[in-house]
Amino acid sequence: MTIIRNHQEAQSEHQGKYNNLPNNMACSHEEEHKKDHSSHIDQLLHGNPNLWRGCDMAGQGFHGQSTGFSQLDDILPGRGWPDKGLMEIITPHWGMGELQLLIPLMRSIVEQGKWILWISPPYLLYAPALVQAGINTEQILVVKLDTSCKDALWSMEKALQTENCGLVLAWQNWLPSKVLRRLQLAADTGGTLGVLFKHHVSEYSPSPTRLKIEDYSGEGHFNESRITLLKARGNFRPLTAQVNLYQQA
Amino acid sequence: MEDPDEAARPSLQASPDKLTSQVVWLPHDSGPAPPAANTAISTNGHGANNLWYALYFPQLAELGTVQQKKHLNELAGLMQCVSSTISFHPLALICEIRSSLKYFTSIDVIHNKLQQSLKTQLEEWGLVSDFLYAASPTITGSLLLARSGHNTLVYQKDNLRSALGELPTEVLELDKEQNRRLHNMGIRYLKDIWRLPSDGLRKRFGSSFVNQLSKALGKAPEPTINYLPPPAFNTAYELPYEIENLDRLLPIADEMLAQLCDFLQRRDLSTSHLLFSLSHEKRSPTKVEIGLRQSSRSQKHLMLLLETHFNKLIIPAPIIAIKIDVRNFDAFFGYSDSLLEKSEPATRQYNDSNLDRFIEQLQARLGENHVKGIDSVAEHCPEHASQLFDLDNLSEIKENRNKIPERITENLRPFWLLQNPVQLTLRKGRLYHRRRISIVSGPERIETYWWSGVNVRRDYYVAREANGSRLWIYREKTAEKNWYLHGVFS
Repeated sequence: MTIIRNHQEAQSEHQGKYNNLPNNMACSHEEEHKKDHSSHIDQLLHGNPNLWRGCDMAGQGFHGQSTGFSQLDDILPGRGWPDKGLMEIITPHWGMGELQLLIPLMRSIVEQGKWILWISPPYLLYAPALVQAGINTEQILVVKLDTSCKDALWSMEKALQTENCGLVLAWQNWLPSKVLRRLQLAADTGGTLGVLFKHHVSEYSPSPTRLKIEDYSGEGHFNESRITLLKARGNFRPLTAQVNLYQQA
Repeated sequence: MEDPDEAARPSLQASPDKLTSQVVWLPHDSGPAPPAANTAISTNGHGANNLWYALYFPQLAELGTVQQKKHLNELAGLMQCVSSTISFHPLALICEIRSSLKYFTSIDVIHNKLQQSLKTQLEEWGLVSDFLYAASPTITGSLLLARSGHNTLVYQKDNLRSALGELPTEVLELDKEQNRRLHNMGIRYLKDIWRLPSDGLRKRFGSSFVNQLSKALGKAPEPTINYLPPPAFNTAYELPYEIENLDRLLPIADEMLAQLCDFLQRRDLSTSHLLFSLSHEKRSPTKVEIGLRQSSRSQKHLMLLLETHFNKLIIPAPIIAIKIDVRNFDAFFGYSDSLLEKSEPATRQYNDSNLDRFIEQLQARLGENHVKGIDSVAEHCPEHASQLFDLDNLSEIKENRNKIPERITENLRPFWLLQNPVQLTLRKGRLYHRRRISIVSGPERIETYWWSGVNVRRDYYVAREANGSRLWIYREKTAEKNWYLHGVFS
């Protein structure tokens, strides 16, 4: 369960080079001031995802909602899921553990008293699994599969705008970037996290967070999945983590 | 009042022909009421001199509650032609007709007028077109008379007691236990109840029972749930002189939007689709449609949108009139801030009425069967252990919220269940779906329904397909011992 993060070492070297410079020049009493300020700056930097830092934020800050998988937290900016916006989860086929990944998030959203909307899931949603995962089924709404794509997108937009919905899950494969931007805008106004499950990587998708789940078991790593963070606000390059999604099994 | 088709009408609690002899036929009340009393009616709406005409639709009982509400609402719309006060009751509509009696000259005219339109509407829905009716000075009284199938007319309050006394106790629609108790006390008709002291009745049957009876006799106030016609708004303004410059039109449009926003505020609505028509002399009007993604009732916002539309609009001729039509009304989504910041627990923070409206909106667009809640059922057979239910109203769900959660097996269950299990292929001792399948854990034996003839005997396994997906498969133990895919862990 190692994290592939070579670039961070390079980055810390880089920072060290510059840190030495002001230290040599600064007077002693100014240094105290600076310490006081820097803690404030740190707080701002780590607490506010909207500040651009010009460096990788993977595994730093505390503005995210923990995923429940420490290996995944380490590669996500803010150490967790973003609290609003649109997220794409890409799997080659359904059943790769994409919902296992969201169980801790769903649980915390239900505990906050918000609702989870499932928009046209590909199969029947099975309530006993939700109960086993500790998710209250009374705060779940399901829009059935036989709704048209247009209606499904309309309800997704409306749900994202409503603050009572904490999480909106939708299964849609091909969406033009105009639609995705519109959904992103709706998610921002409602402060809601929308998750799109899809099969295909679309390279220029405007969604701010994109994840890919691949099978990694085989070479001695039974049960492991490889999660690639293709895009996230604050990250420069794709990062990868290996997570055991089926911890219960 | 005559009964037009006695035989065709479904007999409800009592057989009508047995009761025809008991129909209370009272003479017309002597002349019009004094003017002083009339003003009293118009001021409080439930004056002593009202006459309530109840229509009871037993055929609606077989429909769902949402459907019932919808139908009653539409029927109430048809009843608007005879009365301005229409109240909703379970399976019944009750309207005030004393105020329009003089105009229609007699109650028979009102009845015939209603019967025509209501019958055609009911037939259109494929329901039995007959309904039961009665009129009396109290709402509950009329409702009880209508339920009994008497089709009675009682003009004066003094006669109500004896008229209601003839009714069997079933019309009160009590619960089983109360019915049993009444029966054991030897009470068959309401007149038997009149003889009993109300204190004792209150003790034995609760205050709602006594209340219902005193309401029927006009001794207690009766609240109504009034029908509100669907909102409609349009306003027009004819200009005193022709205008060519659209900027000159803005102050007038602003005034009209102020009217609109005032209307929306009073009805607690917002709008998402407006139509402006600018009329010209001898030409078809120029139409400006304004669609809003998020419905609004802010005058400023609508004005801003109109201005931007006007900026790029080229008019073919001078404008002589301007008109606003609202094409679409939406519920207004309000936000309530707490007085003390974050003093409430997080679970209370989200306004439930907003959610109610959101669900309504979803149901309106997608259809009622497309938005569902989900719940687990204590059932051994996997395909019956989960159910989707209609979200008729949220309050019902909230009542159930405090119930003890059903016990769920400790064996792992998948998130996805296949509606129809897919048979897996077995080749050279290996299982295949799309790729090769290897078993991770199991078996879990599920045996059930042996008593009903459909014997369910299965061994469930958690399996893993070679491409990484995790499946829930089972092997039939009964017939050919085939393997099936039943669920997908996700």
